[in-house]
Amino acid sequence: MTPTTQRHPKPIVSARDIVNRFGAQQVHDKISLDIFGGEILGIAGGSGSGKSVLLKTLVGLHRPDSGEVLVGGKPVDAIGPAEKAYLFGVLFQQGALFSSLSVAQNVMLPMREHTDLPPDEQERLTAMKLALAGLSADTGVKLPGELSGGMVKRAAFARALALDPRILFLDEPTSDLDPLTAGGIDALIAQINRSLGITVVIVTHDLTTLFTVCSRLAVLVDKKIRVGTLEQLRRADQPWIHEFLHGPRAQGAMAARTHSHGNG
Amino acid sequence: MPLPGQVAPAIAISSEGDRLALEGVLDIRTLHEVQKSLRQALKQRKTGALDLAKLSGLDTPGALFLCGLGDKGVEFTGVRAEHRALLDLVCGLELKPLRKPKSDPRWRQLITDLGRSADEAWHDTLDVITFIGRATSAVADALIRPRSLRLPSISRQIHDTGITALPIIGLMAVMISIVIGYQGVAQLRPYGGEEFTINLVAVSMLREMGVLVTAIMVAGRSGSAFTAEIGVMKARDEVDALNVMGMDPMALLVVPRVVGLVITLPLLTFFSDVMGLVGGAMISQVQLGVSPVQYVDRVRHALYASDLFVGIFKAPIFGFLIAVIGCMHGLRVRGSADSVGRETTRAVVKAIFVVIVLDALFSILFEKLGL
Repeated sequence: MTPTTQRHPKPIVSARDIVNRFGAQQVHDKISLDIFGGEILGIAGGSGSGKSVLLKTLVGLHRPDSGEVLVGGKPVDAIGPAEKAYLFGVLFQQGALFSSLSVAQNVMLPMREHTDLPPDEQERLTAMKLALAGLSADTGVKLPGELSGGMVKRAAFARALALDPRILFLDEPTSDLDPLTAGGIDALIAQINRSLGITVVIVTHDLTTLFTVCSRLAVLVDKKIRVGTLEQLRRADQPWIHEFLHGPRAQGAMAARTHSHGNG
Repeated sequence: MPLPGQVAPAIAISSEGDRLALEGVLDIRTLHEVQKSLRQALKQRKTGALDLAKLSGLDTPGALFLCGLGDKGVEFTGVRAEHRALLDLVCGLELKPLRKPKSDPRWRQLITDLGRSADEAWHDTLDVITFIGRATSAVADALIRPRSLRLPSISRQIHDTGITALPIIGLMAVMISIVIGYQGVAQLRPYGGEEFTINLVAVSMLREMGVLVTAIMVAGRSGSAFTAEIGVMKARDEVDALNVMGMDPMALLVVPRVVGLVITLPLLTFFSDVMGLVGGAMISQVQLGVSPVQYVDRVRHALYASDLFVGIFKAPIFGFLIAVIGCMHGLRVRGSADSVGRETTRAVVKAIFVVIVLDALFSILFEKLGL
């Protein structure tokens, strides 16, 4: 887990010619996408463009109709459960915290399942993960039903980080949050990527997240994907991408980007 | 950076004189090993210095462990820049131990649980009575103004709770009458009275078992469906949406279900009675050698009209209670989806309990009335 921002020449996750179909409706038409170690990749696209399906395909929860996903050169289906737990952390859109377990038990669950650490050590680590995700130790005893939207996301973050995965997949990490809380989540993503060296893949249509946090963008339009840096994609002539990255909301996000980058 | 397919991370501790060095990967998988051996190694030395230059991987649990060592006065040398950032982050976190949930001693829990469930049972009873009242008034309201009765919705309920239940209820009735028949023959044969098995099956199916089997099946099938349907609507704020749009959830959701089940359950009971008698015919043929024609004749003499009515009379009452309890628990759902499952279980258990208790009371009542 070496924190590094420089890209490896070889991608750690590589999707090849992915086709996804639901009934007669085709969602993805031969999509290829590479994810490099240490980067923060933002996957954007309109509602119903298949962002979440792509994310599920990448982590092996959804089997594509054709095409394959390679993780470190190995098909994602061939990765064992324990290995996968150390490799992937996923933050689901609604948090997907187990509602019968307390927040601390939620975070501890992967450790209990996959490590042989003594219970008190697991508790110390859980307290650390909660603090890392910006939650106080007192939150640990609460049940997911008692948390606010922002706290649910943070608790789910802590659980996704439980085993220090290589790659963190975030499905709409800032949706349904007020701008201040969303800003806090953005900062958390950047910090985790910087300090822990975890590769992050964010599926979102939050322009501020895309503009300020992500090092590369992938935009799903018309069943295809366009990948590039923000500057490259802003020059794209595809009408939807142009509108998406130049519209009035994008102007605000651009200002936020200048602001955050200006502050270092 | 290990990629999948590679071996599990390894770590080694080497010592050169007074200096200790870590080599390899210090992460959640190797942490326990390091903790054990390093603590010993550090105890044997006076000055604690740990060289991290050969440490190729470090994760947050490893960093937390190193922070702990740092607090105890161990000095780190040769820390890589990327590890420094992680150490700074993790050591900078304000860590408090997790709060333990308070737990009472076992005997005390038992007593509080007992008290709590008694209190809940009491409130439950009050709730059921209140809701029966509300549902009755809503149904009466709808009956007085038949226009407000939603016929399409009622007919859909009759289809869902009645027609689709026919196969399973028929099968259950046949099976139950076979069970009763076998026991009857076995018990009555020593006395030479096995012929009376026909009476036993016919009377017990019509008076008790037909309606009971049907009611229990419907409680499990439709009562639970009512709770789940209304519960999901409640959890998704659909019930509030109805209220805001000036529509009464009682009239819209509860009345069609109650009216539907009150109509359906007697019909299903009649069907189950018939199937029970068919089962009786089968067992008579096989066990007693009584042909179906003889069987019909025997049944005609064994049964009174009151046997049928005693059974059918109970059905609408059971139907009403199953529907009301199902709807009540559906409307009780609060917040998240997990309470839907809990309320569904409660609704089914309560409905079956009420059905059986009432059936016992009816048995005594009809006995006293001489029916």
